[in-house]
Amino acid sequence: MSLHDTLITLQNSGLAHLVSKSNHLFGAALQIVHVSGFILLLSSLVLVSLRILRVVLKDQNLVDVTNDAGRLFWWGLGLAVTSGALMFISTATLYAYKWAFQLKLALFAFALILQFTLFRKVARSDATNPLIAKGTVIASLIAWFGVGFAGRMIGFI
Amino acid sequence: MSTLMQWAESLEQSALGEAIGSSRYAFPLIEGTHLIGLSVAVGLLFITDLRLMGLLLKKVPVYTVLTQLRPWILGGFAVIVVSGLLLFVSEASTMLAAPTFALKFVFILLAAANAAYFEFIIAHKEKIQNNPVIMPRKVVFAGATSLVLWSLVIICGRLIPYIPNW
Repeated sequence: MSLHDTLITLQNSGLAHLVSKSNHLFGAALQIVHVSGFILLLSSLVLVSLRILRVVLKDQNLVDVTNDAGRLFWWGLGLAVTSGALMFISTATLYAYKWAFQLKLALFAFALILQFTLFRKVARSDATNPLIAKGTVIASLIAWFGVGFAGRMIGFI
Repeated sequence: MSTLMQWAESLEQSALGEAIGSSRYAFPLIEGTHLIGLSVAVGLLFITDLRLMGLLLKKVPVYTVLTQLRPWILGGFAVIVVSGLLLFVSEASTMLAAPTFALKFVFILLAAANAAYFEFIIAHKEKIQNNPVIMPRKVVFAGATSLVLWSLVIICGRLIPYIPNW
């Protein structure tokens, strides 16, 4: 089965029809959940990043801040991915061939890998080499901000 | 109303409005910037609100959260205002015609009033500088109000293209 066939199958699934044939305000609701999830995710990332760099809450235990913010990160990721997947399957063949969408997915994959490898390590110990900590935070912020920029491009390009 | 629309159209036809409108990438890039500013400002504001409500960062003194996150929240808002103005200049008449655009500003005004009431009245009266373990009810209420109002601002903003007319 080629990629195109898979996309068509996805698009013709019952769940996809439920989304694509619903009122346009349902699509708007999915967009709102998607943006809200992204905001929650980024707010958590920004807070932990600023703490790693010792810009804010530097007297607070890093692991405590990371754990608390982590709850927001997971909620945000869950909301953004679920709503995003529903929007994608409703018009999979339209999204999949747009370069902005492909860029968003690539950046998202990179951001997630970074998040669960280097960033996780850096966010759990104040003893990390400052250069590595700074580099990880900057790369992570660029990747996640990039996801947001590429996402906004999808509707226009 | 027609004078307002004429002004909106003249804004769109200004050099800046046309430059943004005619570029393929300018509008989405400015929208992306608006979204990032929103994530920093409103995102950190949500975290502050959740702290006021006693739901997040419970070990961190409220006063520390308020004072240390404030510059970043204000910085994020500066990005939102500048990018928002640029977006408005390029699509002023479309935005003015959308009911949720007006509603968005009603909620922004209410959120600003709530923030001012909290900063200048509640925060002083309740002596939150002493960082009590359980926040007074007024503080919890101010945090919850802020959370709801800013959520409504985001919802209205995202609905602008979906509900274009009254």
